Amino acid sequence: MKRFLTTAASVALATALSVGGALAQSQGGTLVQITQPEPPNLAPYVSTSGPIAQVTSKVFDGLLEYDFNLQPQPSLANSWEVSPDGLTITFNLRDDVVFHDGTPLTSEDVRFTVMDVLKQAHPRGIATFRNVTAVETPDPHTVIFRLDAPAPYIMMALASSESPILPKHVYGEGDIRAHPKANEPVGSGPFKFVEWRRGEIVRLDRNEDYWRDGQPFLDRIVVRFIADASTRTAVLEQGEAHVAGFGAVPYQDVKRLEALDTIEVTTRGYEMISPIVEMIFNTKEPPFDNAKVRQAVNYAIDRQFVIDNVWFGYGTPASGPISSNFEPSGLFGRGIDFSVPDRIDIANRLLDEAGFPRGADGVRFEITHDVTPYGEEWQRFGEITVQNLAEIGIKATIRYEDLPSWLARTYTDYGFQLTSNFLFNQADPVIGVHRGIHSDRILPGTVFVNGSRWSSPETDALMDAATVATDPAARSASYQALVPLVTEASPVAYVLELNYPTVLSTQFADVITGPLGIYGNYAFAHKR
Amino acid sequence: MKNASIGSYILRRLLQTVPVILGVVIVNFLLLQLAPGDLATVIAGEAGGATPEYIAELRARFGQDQPLYVQLLNYMGNLLTFDLGYSFRQSAPVLDLLLDRLGPTLLLMGATLVVSLSLGIVLGLLAALWVKTWKDHLISVTAVLLYATPLFWVGLMLVLIFAVKLDWFPTSGMEDVVAFHEGWDRVWDIAHHMVLPTVTLSVFYLALYARLMRASMLEQRGLDYVTTAKAKGLTDAQITRRHVFRNALLPVVTMAGVQTGSLLGGSVVVEAVFAWPGLGQLAYQSLFARDYNLLLGIFFLSAILVVVVNLLVDILYVILDPRIRLG
Repeated sequence: MKRFLTTAASVALATALSVGGALAQSQGGTLVQITQPEPPNLAPYVSTSGPIAQVTSKVFDGLLEYDFNLQPQPSLANSWEVSPDGLTITFNLRDDVVFHDGTPLTSEDVRFTVMDVLKQAHPRGIATFRNVTAVETPDPHTVIFRLDAPAPYIMMALASSESPILPKHVYGEGDIRAHPKANEPVGSGPFKFVEWRRGEIVRLDRNEDYWRDGQPFLDRIVVRFIADASTRTAVLEQGEAHVAGFGAVPYQDVKRLEALDTIEVTTRGYEMISPIVEMIFNTKEPPFDNAKVRQAVNYAIDRQFVIDNVWFGYGTPASGPISSNFEPSGLFGRGIDFSVPDRIDIANRLLDEAGFPRGADGVRFEITHDVTPYGEEWQRFGEITVQNLAEIGIKATIRYEDLPSWLARTYTDYGFQLTSNFLFNQADPVIGVHRGIHSDRILPGTVFVNGSRWSSPETDALMDAATVATDPAARSASYQALVPLVTEASPVAYVLELNYPTVLSTQFADVITGPLGIYGNYAFAHKR
Repeated sequence: MKNASIGSYILRRLLQTVPVILGVVIVNFLLLQLAPGDLATVIAGEAGGATPEYIAELRARFGQDQPLYVQLLNYMGNLLTFDLGYSFRQSAPVLDLLLDRLGPTLLLMGATLVVSLSLGIVLGLLAALWVKTWKDHLISVTAVLLYATPLFWVGLMLVLIFAVKLDWFPTSGMEDVVAFHEGWDRVWDIAHHMVLPTVTLSVFYLALYARLMRASMLEQRGLDYVTTAKAKGLTDAQITRRHVFRNALLPVVTMAGVQTGSLLGGSVVVEAVFAWPGLGQLAYQSLFARDYNLLLGIFFLSAILVVVVNLLVDILYVILDPRIRLG
């Protein structure tokens, strides 16, 4: 009888685990992750600095998780329903979730997080939850969002990395923007925060009371901060660390590490991030106030050469402002193909038409090309751009500044002519794409918005329609129409979709299990 | 009597440092204002964008909406109560951040000072004793080579050889972050991790001190008091040990005091290569984030460190050379 019970229990456990997407795994092991740079704090609810969520996504849960097709999956919310008019979203919460301090999660925690924290103080949340007028909590495990206009992108912004659910009894006290727990996060995720030794490590230990029974499999996650790129490579090579992504390892070193038996490399796990390498034109000043000149530059850039030689193959030519990662959800659109074989001839013809003939020395005009201060790749990209532009008679000089100076130049003073830039599409075009081209995002002093200051009533209308459309087909149609118009006006040259490589030790499996990759919670990660 | 005079000397010297440190703070505060961009833009930049209201609110919280002189007066006022302010980017009081990093920095600096001074002095001494022989040439040429080699390159090469190829030492960090050792195991572990960064940071100063010590020894040996000592009938070994060595140390000790500041600067590079959690890395990060509260705190602490080390050097003078009076 006893044996039967044990067997039944283990069968039940195995079933539970396989439902969760994994077979029974051995418990134990410490996974060391390299995060670069060190996060400024561990408060993802007020700061969206990239490295923060690489750490805190293991500590906090979101209402939802997502699969590789960008479809919502249950997490804290067991099930959910969006009303046909898009004005009501109902979530049913799990009833077995406890925070790391032992207090159960209730609907009030969700209301507090959305209304009092994310909508007030989260840099992106202010925009994402703009249309949420109230969050109702009819019972401890039901949450109802009330909206004054449909906002379909909210359903894409509920992962831990974007909208972490906080315990109200901890974060409800005091100023949320300078909270004592800002660097000692308390959540409900698979790992508990233990300590942060600044400049060195963050230590996260297994949460014994995690709501996914038997998980996580790892005993511990240690996140290391190593400022020098060559040292990061050496540490991975030596097996002193097991996972690193988001360009933490120099691209040329990725190729070398990939050849080792102990290391594998994947480009999956960035499908909800979709980084795009681009160049912004200052469309308010000559020569780039002329669409033909902007198109000519677009044709001149040798995208494949940049991908092969700067990003060592980890990229795909961009075909407009929207990443091809949105192809499964139908939101992807294709614009003018600037990579045609006779692109240099077309570019030269466009510049002739625009009234910029070549001088005696073959130069049509001179410009200064600003380079995004994100490291060596960007400098090399700038150098290639200079050569590409020389082919069509534009003489460019590179200017390289530090980040605060460059941000002020590009988004406050508009003191640039042509600058490279790096924007993430994020989980939805409304969140990541509109900001670069919509007229209501021409905001001096606000960074990573519409720095080209170009817009048109037609494209604005298409984006506004896509923002409130509840029917996926209607959204798709809006974006299909938008993208060709944007590439024709070319306020921005969309150069390539960057496919970040993640370097992984073969000692561990199931580390990258969804479209958020390193922003995932590692609940399924285990030692082989 | 002598103790009392040392006591009052130290007190007087400490009082003299107050205007120095005030000057450091004011000059740095004003210099930092010249850099384009500010913390609010950087925070919004890291966030990948934010609303204008959010950025304006950040500036108000940082006190950046106030006139410059008000900001400076506020800062100085807080400094009097040893309140170094709050780092909004790191969401922590500046003093806590500094104290966390001070330990590793002092450890690395102290070890480097001991290694580079002792080895430098010994090598310089030997070179002077073996002057114009092949051994002297070997030491001198090596010293010049080490002096001329960039720190980061030395660091990376040491990692490549002793960590990656030979696997004798860990590549980086201050301790084993998988094992989390306790007690003496931890002390041993940290010492093991310290070897490569200490060697890297030491080679430059070692070369400097060795060359200085050699020159100083040779100079002292030619002075009149050595002739006198010889005339008294002392052996060469006695003269070197009792007279020349002590006098030759003075310039080296002076240089060691002056170099403390640059030791802090050099540690930025070494800390980056070896992921050592010290003040240098913190300074580097906060500069590029325009985190002025934190940066000013680091300048303040570094100024105090340099002043204290130089005070110690001055006291050491008196012990080495009784002719120097406290005055």
